[in-house]
Amino acid sequence: MSPAKRWAVLAVVIVAAVVAFVIVQPGGTSKKSKPTSPSAPTAAPPTAAPTPPPVTTVTVVRGKPAGGVTVINAKKGRRVRFIVRSDVADEIHVHGYDLMKDVAAGGSVNFDFPAKIDGGFDVELEKHGEQIATLKVQP
Amino acid sequence: MAGSVAAVALALPAAASAHGLGGKTDLAIPTWLFSWAAAIVLVASFAALAALWPKPALQEPHRRRLFAIPAVIDPLAALLGVALFALVVYAGFAGNQGEPVANLATIFVYVHFWVGVAVLSVLLGDLFHSFSPWLAVGRAARWVAQQRGLSRRPVLAYPEWLGCWPAVIGLAGFAWLELAYTQKSDPSVVAALAVGYATAQLLGMALFGMQTWSRRGDAFGLYFSLLSRLSVWEREGRVVYLRRPLSGAPRMPLMAGSVALLCVSIGSTSFDGFSNGSVWAGVSPDLSDAFSSLGAGSSTAHQWAATVGLTVAVALVASFYWLGVRGMQTVGESHRADELAGRFAHTLIPIAFAYALAHYFSLLAFQGQAAGYLVSNPLGRAHTDLLGTASFRIDYGFISSNRIWYVQVAALLCGHVAGLVLAHDRALALYHRAHDAARSQYWMLVVMVGFTSLGLWLLSAVST
Repeated sequence: MSPAKRWAVLAVVIVAAVVAFVIVQPGGTSKKSKPTSPSAPTAAPPTAAPTPPPVTTVTVVRGKPAGGVTVINAKKGRRVRFIVRSDVADEIHVHGYDLMKDVAAGGSVNFDFPAKIDGGFDVELEKHGEQIATLKVQP
Repeated sequence: MAGSVAAVALALPAAASAHGLGGKTDLAIPTWLFSWAAAIVLVASFAALAALWPKPALQEPHRRRLFAIPAVIDPLAALLGVALFALVVYAGFAGNQGEPVANLATIFVYVHFWVGVAVLSVLLGDLFHSFSPWLAVGRAARWVAQQRGLSRRPVLAYPEWLGCWPAVIGLAGFAWLELAYTQKSDPSVVAALAVGYATAQLLGMALFGMQTWSRRGDAFGLYFSLLSRLSVWEREGRVVYLRRPLSGAPRMPLMAGSVALLCVSIGSTSFDGFSNGSVWAGVSPDLSDAFSSLGAGSSTAHQWAATVGLTVAVALVASFYWLGVRGMQTVGESHRADELAGRFAHTLIPIAFAYALAHYFSLLAFQGQAAGYLVSNPLGRAHTDLLGTASFRIDYGFISSNRIWYVQVAALLCGHVAGLVLAHDRALALYHRAHDAARSQYWMLVVMVGFTSLGLWLLSAVST
């Protein structure tokens, strides 16, 4: 095959790859998250906030997560809400977001914060060094 | 950061927070990206088979002289390497033990050294050779001996049949440390092992000669030098050359253990990805229980389970490559299997780097930022702020998950193409008949597609 044909094959593959990528990629839903301007028509429905995400409960029994490491799912731009119930006193650390909250033995503590960073983050009992949940924020 | 300096041994299970260093872990790549990448892999592979060049183009370096490095640079680099090593060891022993992310030792070794130097080796050539602390000491000792007129002949002759197996064992040992050992995040353990490794290197160099040993017994030196064969920069003496990309790889020195070294690298990165997935999450408790029932404590059982997983991963990678080699044996000219395995070993170098980049990119991008506060506070002590940046915090939003996915997939795709290109070029040089070269390439294609698919699957299976 001549060099010209070789370059042509390469060009075709690259173009096909780019076109396929653009087609297959899910639509720009993330680009539509900009807030509407204040001068929106008054006929707009009252601010219908998206339904808040369900609240995940993480239960800690004898210092270990019941049912294995719990997965808390969230979407970037929405709120992360979960409750930790623990039978041991400890400090709960959400990595990445670097949030720390104490929980008393036999008590529970709420977490409610905006999901600003996407990725996977461990939720850990600091003193026990035990991972109790994984927070997954999808972009 | 001031709080928990509790002396609790961080007995993290193998699948815990990003390599025991807290922070952010990767999300699984979405299905659409996985499908697209898999399709492109196949399309690109067949296009490559049809269109690649008819005569070997990478077996010779085709290099162009660029410039000579001033004589003062190498001693300075060596000094820097030794100083950094000393600082890391000191931080490991004397610094904050309870928070591994606050201690220079753990972050530097697992992030800046293991991943950072690997990336730099591919981009800029074999830098590590100039900065390596044990090589620096070895060269200094040799220089002193020369001044004194002492004999430079090595004490022992290195057994050639051993090849680079000592380096293979060293690399496997580091992989085990990073993936299985429960005390991996313990700064004093990291420091002690660093000192032990350096001592072993110095001993090896003293007994067998600096050149001989460092090319066979220095796991890190050999690993980084293999990766640097992908780069366009070549250095001989003090002269820097520019060469064709990938052309350093065909000239990889081959000896017993060369294939094993690359299989350990690919296998260990595979296990790293696999251990974060749901299949392992289902299997490892049963494995741990099996070891517990044999009397092991809970964290020892975890370690054993991870050791089994790591061994299986390396064995699987090796056997897959071996299958490809056996397949190639069926193509004319009756080459021996072990000869073929050696002649195509260098095609695994891009795969090894692609896997490493795909799995460790985000570790470098996020935990690597810890350098910001570590330069001011390497020991992780309260109230230390040498350069004013001790309050710097890692920005976990600096690269979005989308961009990370694209980097991961791009790494695997490029590694795949590079592996195919190298295999094609070697086949052209090895086989006399173009027909045989083409047929052997179908086998290497299977191997490459297999590795890339495995890589993609590992990325998509992260804790699904």
